[in-house]
Amino acid sequence: MDSFFNPASPGSEAIHHLFVQFLWIAGFVFLLVTGLVLYFSHRFRATPGDDREPRPLHGNRKLEIGILATVTGIMGIYLYLALQTMVSVQAAPAEGQQPDLVIIGHQWWWEARYPTSGAVAANEIHIPAGKKLLLEVSSADVIHDWWVPALGRKMDVFPGRKNQVWMEANEPGTYQGVCSEFCGAQHAWMRINVIAHSPEEFADWEQQQLKKAIVPQVSLAQQGADLFADKPCASCHRIEGTAAQADIGPNLTHLGSRKTLLSGMMDNTQENLKRWLAHPQKVKPGAHMPDFLFTDEELSALVAYLGSLK
Amino acid sequence: MKTMQTKLLMKFFIASEAIFFISLIISYIYYRHLSDVISITDNHLDATSTGIFTVFLLASSGTIWWGRRGLHQGKPKTLALGLAITIVLGAIFLYGQGREYAHLIQDDITIDRNIFGSAFFTLTGFHALHVLTGLVILCIILGLTLAGDYQGTDSAGVASAEIYWHFVDAVWIIVFTVIYLIPLL
Amino acid sequence: MNKLITIPEAEKGLPSVRTDLGLLQWISSVDHKQLGIMYLLTALLFFVAGGTEVMLMRIQLMVPNNTFLSPEAYNQLFTMHGTTMIFLVLMPTLIGLGVYMVPLMIGANDMAFPRLNAFSLWMTLFGGLILYFSFLDGGAPNAGWFNYVPLSNSNFSSSKGVDYYCIGLILTGIGTVTGALNFVVTILTMRAPGMKMTYMPIFVWMMLITAFLILGAFPALNAGLSMLLIDRQLHAHFFSPSSGSPILWQHLFWAFGHPEVYILALPPFGILSEVVPVFSRQPIFGYRFLVGSGIAIALLAFGVWAHHMFATGLGNPVNGFFALGSVLIGIPTGIKVFSWALTMYGGSIRFNTAMLFATSFIVEFTIGGLSGMSFALVPLDWQLTDTYYVVAHIHYVFLGGTLYSVFAGLFYWFPKITGRKLSEKLGRIFFGMFFVGFNLTFILQHILGVLGMTRRVYTYPDLPHFGALNMASSIGAFLMGASMLVLFWNIWTSLRKGEKAGDNPWNAWTLEWYTSSPPDPKNFEAVPPVRSARPLWDMKHPENPDWKHHH
Repeated sequence: MDSFFNPASPGSEAIHHLFVQFLWIAGFVFLLVTGLVLYFSHRFRATPGDDREPRPLHGNRKLEIGILATVTGIMGIYLYLALQTMVSVQAAPAEGQQPDLVIIGHQWWWEARYPTSGAVAANEIHIPAGKKLLLEVSSADVIHDWWVPALGRKMDVFPGRKNQVWMEANEPGTYQGVCSEFCGAQHAWMRINVIAHSPEEFADWEQQQLKKAIVPQVSLAQQGADLFADKPCASCHRIEGTAAQADIGPNLTHLGSRKTLLSGMMDNTQENLKRWLAHPQKVKPGAHMPDFLFTDEELSALVAYLGSLK
Repeated sequence: MKTMQTKLLMKFFIASEAIFFISLIISYIYYRHLSDVISITDNHLDATSTGIFTVFLLASSGTIWWGRRGLHQGKPKTLALGLAITIVLGAIFLYGQGREYAHLIQDDITIDRNIFGSAFFTLTGFHALHVLTGLVILCIILGLTLAGDYQGTDSAGVASAEIYWHFVDAVWIIVFTVIYLIPLL
Repeated sequence: MNKLITIPEAEKGLPSVRTDLGLLQWISSVDHKQLGIMYLLTALLFFVAGGTEVMLMRIQLMVPNNTFLSPEAYNQLFTMHGTTMIFLVLMPTLIGLGVYMVPLMIGANDMAFPRLNAFSLWMTLFGGLILYFSFLDGGAPNAGWFNYVPLSNSNFSSSKGVDYYCIGLILTGIGTVTGALNFVVTILTMRAPGMKMTYMPIFVWMMLITAFLILGAFPALNAGLSMLLIDRQLHAHFFSPSSGSPILWQHLFWAFGHPEVYILALPPFGILSEVVPVFSRQPIFGYRFLVGSGIAIALLAFGVWAHHMFATGLGNPVNGFFALGSVLIGIPTGIKVFSWALTMYGGSIRFNTAMLFATSFIVEFTIGGLSGMSFALVPLDWQLTDTYYVVAHIHYVFLGGTLYSVFAGLFYWFPKITGRKLSEKLGRIFFGMFFVGFNLTFILQHILGVLGMTRRVYTYPDLPHFGALNMASSIGAFLMGASMLVLFWNIWTSLRKGEKAGDNPWNAWTLEWYTSSPPDPKNFEAVPPVRSARPLWDMKHPENPDWKHHH
């Protein structure tokens, strides 16, 4: 996972720079205090059996004022550096500016909506590199927190409230993030993958996402499609081009094109998908998908269908 | 010494209690700004009737002061009379609160109805609880007075009960202003 | 004035539980020394519970993708660990030391309200027991020690745990507030004749300031807890996202929560200001600055709460205001660190266990203070909050700060409380193990936080360095756990066979060392005249008393 020590955006670079400045000053203070304690410990240590009482010193007003001034000075420098960086990282968006990307946190997955194109994604969030994006974040249930360290600051994700935050990737690449506010049983597995593309690649990806789900050609996958419609799957999930039109769980229209499952919990392989469908509560206890008790044949059919949804 | 300590204790206690009520009052004001539910709903409140009952509570501050002054002058009977009137006045106020509650519940405004119900019943409920606590304390002190416990001219119990009772009064003035009077402006 | 307070008379020392009245005499006691000891025992009970919880957590986190604990179990454990350590261990420990020591240090025979004192203790204990009863009634609270809504609302946390959290904390909170009232009145009205405010030991000063912080901070928590409980039980709407306001809980909680940090930090500052001078054989450096900075911290503590909320999307003006407050509060804190270090100057330092913990405190607390600065600097908070960097920070403050000072205080005052010294040999072994274990555990967690490990996760993916750092951190935690066994063994054996201490084994200067060890039920028949902050020094050194140096 890329920390903000490998910044990939102007915002993260600014915070990284501030952290390095902070460390230099903090290191100086730490060495000063530790040095004083160690030096005095050595210099003024009583030898065993030495019971003499040293001449009592009754403070030193000038030194006290000097300490006050020094500490105040250090704090002043800190405050100046912090405020300067704060204003550059969190600039207010223009009045009425529409967000480029809408992020909705759920227990325990991320929904991404692209307002200009109407595309929808889950957990793996694709963006164009080199463009400063305005994100609007909110939650469908409890408080979450959007945090992709290399791409910018974190921002709490509240139900009933829309927060805005800037995000930018200097270069194409994959950047990991994670929910950073405790949000219940599976807070640990609410990870984020942001995939930054060149603008052309991103446009292609967006076009692909807007397509309806492919109609299965193989008979096993066709069985899976029928099962998906008959079983309760469709009461929570959406697959465009089918009767499944619910938005409680992640949109599965292009599930097969994703690299990971369950918010970055595991690779998107046939085995993992099958393991998950067989026992959701064993794989990710607490997740809002119940155990359905599919037969092995049903599982194979569902996996064949869902895996084909590229 | 003991009286001084007990009064000091009571003063710091009500200072701390004041912050509790300030937290609830700020929350009430905050919710008023957050949604228009409160301003839509609070016209169910009966400011006139509650205003009259408020006068009873305010008067009770005077009667307890009068009673305690009686003790200072070595007249425990005055104290007993003052306490008894205070208790009656306090009870009348609580009756008024009960009437207001019954009236609201008839209008189907309850603590779980909306944010107004939650904020109103919690704030006034905690105040009523403090009045009730005060009445219990005053009853105990009245009993002790009648039993002849207070022979001197001063008593830690009476002095601190009086401070507490004034506090309960003062809180109500603010609560009444915030909930009943400000919406009328 | 001392004569006005009547307390139970007995022959010598405290009653044993083996006498005919035994346990009953302790349970019914209103003596501040017995109550102080019972506070410490309460804290010890919950310390064992909270420590066990964290050992299970560290086993779970030793390796990536571990399945030792279920997510639900882990979430209950970390919630209970935090809640326990803050409300049921550190607070009762500090209040207990205060209840025992403050009357002795100001030359009084008891607290101002002995029965209220007993009430405070029992409320604390029963509140804690009620919180723990949740384990038997469907599960402990599981929404973290600051219990954010709507996660803690009944639709997301349907077990009764959060209800027990609310009720338990309200009850202990009542005990804490009544305890604070008792401290304020005791310190303001019962000081020995001649002891002006400016002659009070700094520990007494810090307990006084802490008591005011408690009186100001706990009502906000109680209001929030009441509203949450009403939401959960009566279906009110205070914190519901649709018609109420989840963010209000955060404001109420942190309006309490940040002063709470100083409630847990000021008494330790007081302990340090007793221990460092006595073992350095020098008066404290900058008495007035230390007291003044304590008062400054208390005032500023109420103006910094929103630095816990920098990531909630507040605007830059609000962020800037709270950054300013948080940076300002760093100034008095920094002054204190230098005061303790400079007290050692020109001294004749005796490095026993108490002093080892005290000097280490200065360094560890500096680390905790500096890492805390990264949450005052708003943009750093935007990266680091809610990661293991915060976990490291709070533990450097609460262990490297508060707990180190408690250990220093324990080794310093144990002879006064029991009449016997703790074993120095075992003490040094304990110090060494704890020091290594503590720093191993928590210094690495700073790195984990920077690498992107968030707090409160029951497991983590196998990312570079995550496994190794967590393994090392767990090993450090186990070492700390083992060191506690050495401490308990030390206490157990020293109570029986420890070296007899005498009235004033450290040749200390404050009034608690003037009476016998352990003190008689009636603390003092008389106290020497108090004309400075070091009355016993003045008594023994009439040729060069402190009061000659007052300006």
